[in-house]
Amino acid sequence: MAGVSRLQYTPEIKTVRIMCTGRIDPATVSRAFKKGLDGLMVVGCYFGDCHYISGNVEAKAKIDITRKLFKHIGVNEERLAFRQCSSGEAAVFVKLVTEFDEKIRGLGPLGGDGDRVKAPDIFGKLESAEAVLAGEKIRWVIGKRTPFLESGNMYGEVFTEHEFNRAIDMIIVEEMEVQEILGQLKQGAKSVKDLARDLGIPSERVFRCITALNRKGMVALDRVAGRSPIFQLVPQEV
Amino acid sequence: MSDKTVLIVGGGLDGVRTALDHAEAGAQVTLVEKFPTLGAERIPRDRLIGPEQGFMNPDLDKVRNHNNIRILTYSDIKKINRNNGKIRAQIKKHGLLVDNSKCNDCKACIKVCPVNMFDDFDEGLGFRTAIDYCNHTTGEYNIFKEDMPVCQETCPVHLDIRAYVGLIADGKHLESLAKIRERLPLPGSIGRICPHPCETACNRQYLDESISICFLKRFASDMELEQGIEPVYETPEQKYPEKIAIIGAGPAGLTCAHDLARMGYEHIKIFEALPVPGGYLWVGIPEYRLPKKLLQREVDLICNMGVDIQYNTRIGKDIAFEDLQKEYDAVFIGAGCHTGLKLRVPGEDDYEGIVDCVTFLREQALGTLPKAKGKLIVIGGGNAAIDSARVGWRMGFDEVYILYRRTKKEMPANSWEIDAAEHEGVILQYLAAPVEILGENGKVSGMKCIKMELGEPDASGRRRPVPIEGSEYIIDAETIVPAISQGTDLSFLDKGHNLNLSRWNTFEIDEETGATNVPGVFAGGDVVTGPDIAIRAIAAGKHAAGGIHEYLRSK
Repeated sequence: MAGVSRLQYTPEIKTVRIMCTGRIDPATVSRAFKKGLDGLMVVGCYFGDCHYISGNVEAKAKIDITRKLFKHIGVNEERLAFRQCSSGEAAVFVKLVTEFDEKIRGLGPLGGDGDRVKAPDIFGKLESAEAVLAGEKIRWVIGKRTPFLESGNMYGEVFTEHEFNRAIDMIIVEEMEVQEILGQLKQGAKSVKDLARDLGIPSERVFRCITALNRKGMVALDRVAGRSPIFQLVPQEV
Repeated sequence: MSDKTVLIVGGGLDGVRTALDHAEAGAQVTLVEKFPTLGAERIPRDRLIGPEQGFMNPDLDKVRNHNNIRILTYSDIKKINRNNGKIRAQIKKHGLLVDNSKCNDCKACIKVCPVNMFDDFDEGLGFRTAIDYCNHTTGEYNIFKEDMPVCQETCPVHLDIRAYVGLIADGKHLESLAKIRERLPLPGSIGRICPHPCETACNRQYLDESISICFLKRFASDMELEQGIEPVYETPEQKYPEKIAIIGAGPAGLTCAHDLARMGYEHIKIFEALPVPGGYLWVGIPEYRLPKKLLQREVDLICNMGVDIQYNTRIGKDIAFEDLQKEYDAVFIGAGCHTGLKLRVPGEDDYEGIVDCVTFLREQALGTLPKAKGKLIVIGGGNAAIDSARVGWRMGFDEVYILYRRTKKEMPANSWEIDAAEHEGVILQYLAAPVEILGENGKVSGMKCIKMELGEPDASGRRRPVPIEGSEYIIDAETIVPAISQGTDLSFLDKGHNLNLSRWNTFEIDEETGATNVPGVFAGGDVVTGPDIAIRAIAAGKHAAGGIHEYLRSK
């Protein structure tokens, strides 16, 4: 529509057409950033206009959570945006694209001055973020968001948005730690002390995560070197 | 076989051992354990040392298979009564929240469980998830679910604090108010005056300070006022024909009426001795703490459901209690504590100018108190004393004293109220007690006081004040207000009534239903507990409403 109307907008965007914004998998978003993307704008329909009833609501929830995760790992969350416009509003679309383009230009390339964590560390973080977003836990939580806020859980307890966001914040921090630890263990068995040093996480937190992973059957004791137990990854069946 | 029965609480090593000892001796043993399994094996230690070498208590199998032992796992002791040498325990057994017949032990739930909590098994050394296997011998899974948040547990009416505070945080003020109204009919009033035990229990205080749970109620109801919304309580389609009489339009009576009306009872009549509703909320709580206009509005909301309040009707004088019992299907007594206790010092009954705090506050609220003149002494350290003093100060007494026989630390009044009184200019004298009331020409002229010091702690845990001999002094005053607790006035009962009364002249009731020993007569509030806070009276009104409903439906 914008092209037909001969409206000018930046040539530096790449549009990816999807059936519904609700289809977007946050893990692919993280992977795209890892491969060098500087900004991503998801443009969905207005709430209430969704052909699939609530696809855009779910999309907004997914993007919001991904933004939270990005903020936590040190990527400027402005690089990821959710905007709404209908397919008939060419001028609105051009305005959104132009604004977003300006903002990303201001931020510069990923891992530069615009982000808290610089390249190349940021790419390692994004890899862990992808694992978090692809993990079962966060997917379950995102999926449960709408029912928890609207109809409540099994016991009929309806959650407030405030509570849900607080829970998400905690889950993001914990899952990120867990995935970073698992990422380190992929390279070989390590002790808690080494993990804490390499990741910059306090060793008691690493220890808690390791015991939790141990109970879940994802990490097991490899050997004891001196007085330190060395932990290794347990291969998971998929 | 002896017929001895033994209850053992705690299924740890010692509990298991003791249970076996008693069972071997022939007693019938019940073993109660709060976790889902016995003997410290709720969580296997197999991940570190392997299941074969895992710690196992050899007594466990014996206990499980013993004929004389009944094991109640995952159970809590709710109440223990001792009666004629017999001990009765009320035990609550929790159900497992997982259908273990369908579980195939794939551990997928543990991997995705979003609730990470400190493991209570190893004192928080590691994390566990809310869902967990509790026993590797039976392979049972269970979801750990807390009953209620601590604030909700503490609140006498178990208000859903988590939800309404969260809704305010989301900016949904009216939804929050609706949530409060589900359980509490007077949110604006209680939001102003409640001494909020919930905030004392709030977990947030260990981080910085408690959530202002109480004032958030006030905020929600003020938002409604500001937006000019007139709420309506919905009553169900199905109506019940029974007639219910309620004595006293205080918090307990109003709540009872509100709950019954919302259950579908149409013929509810409240008999109130005073010309105003609200009971102590109106005539005890000063205007500056709870504006009468607001209280009236909340009472009107309840009346709009068809509840009838008959003012200026004192039971026992205008209508006999017996007639109420005959005419109505159920009677709820929420008469409160409207008699001030006496000081028991010489001169108390001889002079004019001694007004107990209940009368003082009531006459002030109703505007029948004579003009303030001279000095005022309030005796006591509770909230009623502070209220009387602050009211007196506003009425224009020249000087207002509060006499308390212990120190500020021991004062039962809320600390913020004491600070406010001090700030306003009320003179607080600690460690002082009245000895004698002095008077001239039939009127009070002053009071002889004595200084005290703190001695050994007494039954209440507070240090007992002991008079210092020879330290008497005199304060001049024209009015003296003793505010040393209140008692019930049960003169409305007929002489030949057969209701069970306690030695404090309060009713003895069943706590769950509010029922007295006479069928169809229920009681609650201060008339049962003695002077207490409004929210507990409201809780009693709720219990009684449930009890009345149960009683009438089972007739």
